[in-house]
Amino acid sequence: MMEMPGRKLGVYICHCGGNISDYVNVERVADVVEGDPSVVTVKTNIFTCSDATQQDMIAEIQEKKLDGIVIASCSPKLHLNTFRAMAERAGLNPYQYTQVNIREQCSWAHTHSKDAATDKAIKLVRAGIARTGLSMPLKRLRVETTPAALVIGAGVAGLRAALALSDMGISVHMIERAGQPGGMISKWGKMFPNGKKGSEIIDSLIKKVRERENINLFTDANIIEKSGNVGKFSVKISVNSKETISLTVGGIIVATGFEPYIPKDGEFGFRLDGVITLPEYEELLAQSSGSFKYKGRDIKTVAYIYCVGSREHCKEDNPHLYCSRYCCTGAVHAAVCTGDLNPGVHQFHLFRDMRTYGKYEMLYDQALKQGSIFLRYEENEPPQVTSEDGRLKVKVKDRLTGGEEIEIKTDLVVLVTGMVPRANAPLVNVLKLPIGKDGFFNEIHPKLKPVETVIDGLFIAGAAQGPKTLSESVASSMAASAKVAALLLKGYIDLEPLVAKVDPDLCTWCGACEQTCPYGAVQRITCDGKEIAMINPVLCKGEGGCVPVCPQQAIGVEGYTNSQVEAMIDALAMEVA
Amino acid sequence: MGRNSNVDYDALIVGAGIAGMESALTLGDMGFRVLLVEKESSIGGKMILLSKVFPTLDCSSCISTPKMAATANHPNIKVLTFSEIDAVSKNLDGTFLVNLRKNPKFIDPVKCTGCAQCETACTVAIADEFNSDLIARRAAYIAFPQAVPKKAVIDRKGTSPCSFTCPAGVKPHGYIALVRAGKYDEAFRLHLEDAPLPGCLSRACYAPCEDECTRGQLEGPLPIRAIKRFMVDRYYIEHPEPEYGIPEKLNVKRVAVVGSGPAGLSAAYFLARSGYSVTVFESESEPGGIMRWGIPSYRLPKDILARDIKNITALGVKIVTGTRVSSTQKMKEDGFDAVFMAVGNTGGRRISIPGEDLEGIVDCMDFLKSCNSDDRPDVNGKKVVVIGGGNVAIDCGRSALRLGANEVQLVCLESNDEMPAHKWEIQQAVDEGVAINCSWGPKAVSDVGGKATGAEFVCCTSVFDTSGKFNPSFDESKRKSFDADIVIMAVGLLPNTSPFSSEVELNRNGTINADKETLQTAEPWIFAGGDALTGPSMIVKAISQGKRAAYYIDHYLQGMPMNSCHFDERLPMVDREAVLSRTPGDISDRKPVSLKLKPINEWARSFGEYESTMTENEALYSANRCLDCGGCSQCRQCVAACPADAISFDMRTELEDLTVGSVMLSTGFDIFNAANKPALGCGRFPNVINAMQMDRILAPTRPYNAVIRPSDGKAPSNIAFVLCTGSRDQKVNNRICSRVCCMYSLKQAQLLMGALPLADITIYYIDIRAFGKGYDEFYEQAKGMGVYFVKGKVARIEETTDQNLGVFYEDIEGNGGTRRAEHDLVVLSVGVLPTQGALCLFKDGSLKADPFSYIDEVDEDLEPGKTSIDGVFVAGTAAGARDIPDSILHSDAAAAQVAAYLKKTGKAS
Repeated sequence: MMEMPGRKLGVYICHCGGNISDYVNVERVADVVEGDPSVVTVKTNIFTCSDATQQDMIAEIQEKKLDGIVIASCSPKLHLNTFRAMAERAGLNPYQYTQVNIREQCSWAHTHSKDAATDKAIKLVRAGIARTGLSMPLKRLRVETTPAALVIGAGVAGLRAALALSDMGISVHMIERAGQPGGMISKWGKMFPNGKKGSEIIDSLIKKVRERENINLFTDANIIEKSGNVGKFSVKISVNSKETISLTVGGIIVATGFEPYIPKDGEFGFRLDGVITLPEYEELLAQSSGSFKYKGRDIKTVAYIYCVGSREHCKEDNPHLYCSRYCCTGAVHAAVCTGDLNPGVHQFHLFRDMRTYGKYEMLYDQALKQGSIFLRYEENEPPQVTSEDGRLKVKVKDRLTGGEEIEIKTDLVVLVTGMVPRANAPLVNVLKLPIGKDGFFNEIHPKLKPVETVIDGLFIAGAAQGPKTLSESVASSMAASAKVAALLLKGYIDLEPLVAKVDPDLCTWCGACEQTCPYGAVQRITCDGKEIAMINPVLCKGEGGCVPVCPQQAIGVEGYTNSQVEAMIDALAMEVA
Repeated sequence: MGRNSNVDYDALIVGAGIAGMESALTLGDMGFRVLLVEKESSIGGKMILLSKVFPTLDCSSCISTPKMAATANHPNIKVLTFSEIDAVSKNLDGTFLVNLRKNPKFIDPVKCTGCAQCETACTVAIADEFNSDLIARRAAYIAFPQAVPKKAVIDRKGTSPCSFTCPAGVKPHGYIALVRAGKYDEAFRLHLEDAPLPGCLSRACYAPCEDECTRGQLEGPLPIRAIKRFMVDRYYIEHPEPEYGIPEKLNVKRVAVVGSGPAGLSAAYFLARSGYSVTVFESESEPGGIMRWGIPSYRLPKDILARDIKNITALGVKIVTGTRVSSTQKMKEDGFDAVFMAVGNTGGRRISIPGEDLEGIVDCMDFLKSCNSDDRPDVNGKKVVVIGGGNVAIDCGRSALRLGANEVQLVCLESNDEMPAHKWEIQQAVDEGVAINCSWGPKAVSDVGGKATGAEFVCCTSVFDTSGKFNPSFDESKRKSFDADIVIMAVGLLPNTSPFSSEVELNRNGTINADKETLQTAEPWIFAGGDALTGPSMIVKAISQGKRAAYYIDHYLQGMPMNSCHFDERLPMVDREAVLSRTPGDISDRKPVSLKLKPINEWARSFGEYESTMTENEALYSANRCLDCGGCSQCRQCVAACPADAISFDMRTELEDLTVGSVMLSTGFDIFNAANKPALGCGRFPNVINAMQMDRILAPTRPYNAVIRPSDGKAPSNIAFVLCTGSRDQKVNNRICSRVCCMYSLKQAQLLMGALPLADITIYYIDIRAFGKGYDEFYEQAKGMGVYFVKGKVARIEETTDQNLGVFYEDIEGNGGTRRAEHDLVVLSVGVLPTQGALCLFKDGSLKADPFSYIDEVDEDLEPGKTSIDGVFVAGTAAGARDIPDSILHSDAAAAQVAAYLKKTGKAS
């Protein structure tokens, strides 16, 4: 193993409660790596991330004057920053710390064989030691940030996010694809649970947005280009398909909302006269006062069929597996509004699970008290909707009465449709937005980073991330605003220094690296009269694609230099013995 | 942002669960200075206690610990654990005044290294709230392995009633806990820290502690004195001599103690331990005062007293016997820097009745003294009348019988119920043959040739007047007389203070006038205490006087102002009702051990002891009945164990007022107490547990390291979940849905299928509410794994003979009607309830609650987190039940509100 002589490394191996030690013999890992000449201390801990253990490690780093540490624990996704911060508190350069993942890569992956998992852990830890032994202190790159944000989408989430950002002192550029701001709910009547009208909510937000000096709202606008990096993105906006505006913003919030599910023709009788979707029914309710009519006909009976376009576990092609969250409450709320409008209307609810969660339960309660009748169907025995003599007939096997087949003659069938992700390929392409299995934009982690994406500085909010109610959309949009503010209010961001670097003596400028870089970080410059490549460290993500294509082997990535990677490979190839 | 001197912090965040930590981190990153106050000793809230979290099934610790560490280490966040907010009020300028309470940890967090030695040493087990009471933790404890900060605290809920009651500051709870732990020597040594005469107290103390014992409200109090006797006897057999010698002389000052009764000896003991040279002067031939000469040896064997006194003399205390001190001034001239006068009572009170000076009239103290000497009085075959109804009268009567008296008539003013003697002593006297004559006042002693031959009494109609003063009235028409050869006057005791009347101020009753707190007389170097100050009392009170005197004499001699500190450092007494309410209802019925007495024919005529010492088993059984009322027993084992010298019982609550720019309430939720659904059997059947307990059983820091059922430790093979326990339920006044129970039950079901692959798992539900991102997929995953779902409300649960559970449910989707299914473990998926604390913070009631008693969000649609008070925000479950992702989003939204408010008001630093 090639190492710098005289290194003093510390190795810490974590039990993770039992998450690791149940399947990896951590004491054996410790015993084996203890023999490495550069290692001066090896410890095992129940929870290395615990505050107390961190304190112990700090004390040991200082006392033994360690110049590098290796922690074998979980994924660096979880604790890289935790331990880097710990290293810094101990006075050790955080980039002379290596996290080795023996949980996800050993204990969790090899539960069937403790010996094999332990051997693999030993090899990985040795590789970590090899890398750390050749590590050099590195400094973070500080980037000044622009105290402005771009909000994409002027629905309720986007509008509220813009106001929140403005409140916190961040200027906002807002773009809306449609000709008018307002989004989906601007057309809706009373919203649950508080009964405020969607249109009024939107109007009040738009009014406030227009009053703010630090919010610019562009309608009929699309983002066509994004460059730069977190803290300082350059974006180009096409407005009215004519004008192109260039903006500089520190962060971007995507709040592009959802599409209501449109049933296929014939799905639960869709396209039959009187079979409408929940949003259409909401509009009907919003427009009704006094009499309650559909196409001039009095409505005496309404049948709601739930989970249309949601929870499609029996469907073969392109099913929506997820629950759309808002629709149960939306439907019972619509029923309550119907009852308020005309108490004589008979209402039947054909549901699967009544998901009026939390305080929304009270709306369900109210619908029950008003006389709504609830019948439960299973997905594999869906209700059949037919039309006979101008009247609709719904046949359903009601699970609540022992599978009895019930026929309901009704004037209206409301298909309680869910939310589906909005198709927006150009936006996804420009922003490189990550998309989850359900087709909605994906956060990094639902709990650790719920509004963050894998692209630094790019946030998601509202129903673009997944189905949400009004207040949940607002909360998530304000959470995204808070995270933008946390990013920008300081005025600078420190970036990872693990970036590619060109050796100017070896480089002969062939352009191979420029072609391979997906981030546009390579520039051609003239240095001492010689053309060479230069890598913009702010744009570089350290992904290393340029390294193998360089014929002169002139490029290395800081923290992962060729010699480090070679040493790691040697360590991995070594027999465990 | 320039520093605004008006606020101490930009934001106060109350509650450091996931919501509080998230808001704090976001605000801290924005540059605001945050004070995060948490009532527990660690941040992390309930989330850190969970096993894994839905729907990703990542380890809850793994998600919580980075947030906890980041919070604790954030430069803009100050974390205060074990602290509470008493009140918050809004100032006119839009800032908030916060009354902060820092609860004492009793362990210095700066010195504590989290090594947990104190936990290992601690003798008190308390239900571990961080393990949902499944197992016990110690009174000295670190909340859980991943605690941040990882520092121990001591759970002192107050002083235990026994320890609070002891006048001498002896800590029965402490030595009982040590006896329970088999640490008998340590138990004795603890007693010796607080009082030097454990042997005498183990025999002759009237044990006021036993009257206060909380267990007295159940099957009967602990026999505290008898436990002490076990501990003392065992120790004295093993240690005929004290284990210590003369302490290092810390100073050259000398103190004289006048009187070697319990007060004098105790003062000498504590002064000697503080390094003073102490000389005790005793007029009698042997030391001990009332213990040597007053109390009969059948109650207090003199060898026990002698051994007790060695505890004092081993410290180098000189006891000069046979020397009557008649002048304190002389002592000063002899070089004593201070004098403690503890001369006690040496004589009986006299009453002015005809014939009082006749031959045959004996003073009670003289009588008892000669009983305790080699020259015992001759009462053989004689008739004895004892006048008086107190303990001394009883002692006289019983001693006279032992000396062969033909008849003992005890005559007293008081009625049977009013007699000052203890009931059990009266009963024993009666059993021995003492005749008790109540409500008779002495009128005259019959005189035949200068010798008393009897006494005449008139009927006493009442002893006290309406104001409760001693003011007897008589019915002269009713008379009674007794023949007597000897009449013992035992109507009260008098201090022997007259020789000092020119040197110290005396009260009318002859007691010395001194400051009740410091025991200092008008002459600063003279202190007085014991019965000479208080009047007749009991040993343990006299000990407390001696101890108090030593404390203040030390103060005086060090030249410190007498008001610079306070002798009594006890925490307030713990609320007995609180103790009883936390004592499980199914606590096993354990009757007190009855004290073993020798057969009465053996002891009634003997001066030997008639009570015997408990066996070790009896002592352990008895000590194990202790309810640990105060939490920590003050056994001080942690003090000895702590390598960092971090433990300090002197810590007290600190109050601090702060000004903050805004307030965020993230006080979380309570879990529904399933005992409020009695039909479901929680608390009655051991194998019905709640879901938080199941989460603990499944957690990486789990209590048992396996999934077992509580009754017998067997791995369950047929587990049921009862959803909506305490939610969607009008009967428990919680109509709403708790949002999380379906999902955590699905999670637990999946984890159980991993832990117990062969187990059957049934979920009884009303609706499965898997509504979040990835949740319905998670539900399908559980179905795919074979979890059995039954749509039906569980009505009641019954236990079978093998402690399985019969679950009765409404079979909605089958044939209808009620069905019964048997399971061997039932998990009640308990709901979420609002906490009450936060709403009370604003004393003017300006913080409004919603109809479900959560903190109200005034505009839930558009202004998440905004409460009825501008500048006060709510985050997470304090505003309503939420799962973790929703709580986090809500907290960040609330953080945005705080930031906007601070910008608007300009109150940020």
